[in-house]
Amino acid sequence: MSEWVHVAHLEELTRGRKKVVTVGSEEIALFLVGDRVYALHNVCLHKQRSLAKGTVFNGRVVCPGHQWAFDLETGWEEEKEECQPTYEVKVEGDSVHVIPQRRVLTEAPAVRD
Amino acid sequence: MPHTVVTIGAGQAAAVAARTLRRRGHDGPIVLVGDEKYRPYQRPPLSKEYLSGEQEPEDGFLLDEQWCADHDIELRLGVRAARLDTTQQCVELEDGSRIPGDGILIATGSRARRLPGVEGDRIVYLRDLDDAARLRGYLQPGSRVVLVGAGFIGSEVASTARSAGADVTMLEQLDVPLEPVLGREMGEVCARLHRDHEVDLRTGEVVESVTETPDGVTVRTRRGTVVDGDVIVIGIGTVPNIEVAERSGIAVDDHGVLVDEYCRTNIDGVFAAGDITSHWHPLFGRRLRVEHFDNANKQSMAAAKNMLGRTTVFDDPHWFWSDQYDLSLQYAGHAERWDEVVVRGSVEALDFVAFYLDAGVVRAAFSVERGAEMYLAKELIAAQARADPAKLRDEDIDLAALVS
Repeated sequence: MSEWVHVAHLEELTRGRKKVVTVGSEEIALFLVGDRVYALHNVCLHKQRSLAKGTVFNGRVVCPGHQWAFDLETGWEEEKEECQPTYEVKVEGDSVHVIPQRRVLTEAPAVRD
Repeated sequence: MPHTVVTIGAGQAAAVAARTLRRRGHDGPIVLVGDEKYRPYQRPPLSKEYLSGEQEPEDGFLLDEQWCADHDIELRLGVRAARLDTTQQCVELEDGSRIPGDGILIATGSRARRLPGVEGDRIVYLRDLDDAARLRGYLQPGSRVVLVGAGFIGSEVASTARSAGADVTMLEQLDVPLEPVLGREMGEVCARLHRDHEVDLRTGEVVESVTETPDGVTVRTRRGTVVDGDVIVIGIGTVPNIEVAERSGIAVDDHGVLVDEYCRTNIDGVFAAGDITSHWHPLFGRRLRVEHFDNANKQSMAAAKNMLGRTTVFDDPHWFWSDQYDLSLQYAGHAERWDEVVVRGSVEALDFVAFYLDAGVVRAAFSVERGAEMYLAKELIAAQARADPAKLRDEDIDLAALVS
């Protein structure tokens, strides 16, 4: 059973909006959007580019390699119907914690539109 | 709302449409009719990962067998549709049999344009898996690969061939590759990429003849240039497969099957998506036909939704990518003419986005190694944004700020 690991200070994220951290063998990309922090596996499941080098827009992080757009919360790519692993995040005060265990949706979340 | 959906074509657009129909609640039968013997598969790897041996055919298949069985998707492969009988609501196959269907998607795609009479074992028009499998065998260290056409197919094959250690000669008709799409400056960037990787790129060369012997292939150009090779790959564009539509009374033009922004043809209940469409594009105020993988996906998703009565305008700005020599080239939008090309970043360092402005409006963008900014460029294009060239150039200004 994985435990919470402190990975960054909120203040670091406030500056750049994103940060890559490594916990054991997990390369994790942190994104600050508004007042929420999201954590996704940094290595894109498609062709292994870095998501942290991508763009965050409209609730998704877009991989710079081939524009695959992953929902920040679930990791779901709606068009490709694949899921980028995400991690559970909590922020306590200035401290950002993750549980360094990948979560992947096995089926599509309910379609929205 | 249709009961049975039949797609004429079983490629990318058809597969994504089938998936979207199921995802959006269509319960009735879905039948995909395709002339290739393979299950639907993706074509982009044919010039890249599959050609290089990094990937096998199975990695590129789109609808796995179990999923099709679980979701009642029928594949009729290796069969050609002859025509659509719109009065009888069925698809007639060449063998005379009929498949009833009241919701039809024409997704017949396009085929490689061929040089008249130029066919042979050492002559490859790269379009399908069989073509790629044949070509793959020729990519060895020291083998001589001759490419006709420096478009995206030729360019990607050049890159893959060079990685395999083959010698590559490329014959391009124009003085600058891709000039009509990218303009002179950016076309020269593409030429440079090839030359930087020891591709012998000859521009202004038109093929006069191709002769094959058991030992090789010889190409002669109008200028008198002679090039010998082990294999020749001809990538000179595509031709839309409009024949089935024409025979069925579906309106077409020279470019493809005519559809509106809802993917509808002139016949009720008949939609079209992908390479085959000459589609009215609200963002660019004209008809377009594109051959992008991304269009096959997005347009067919829109077609499927419209088929189910969920009105969806298809006005995607259009985007494609080309991975060459470990560089990420991307393009978005459509620009037939432009007043100004504004470069953000460094062309010299092969790290930039070039914006094409027409009367101050961002109509297209071309990037090398700037996929993140390309996403925002697409937003600018979709918004028909007027942008100050100085701001586009200024790397201290986030493109996201210009989008809103």
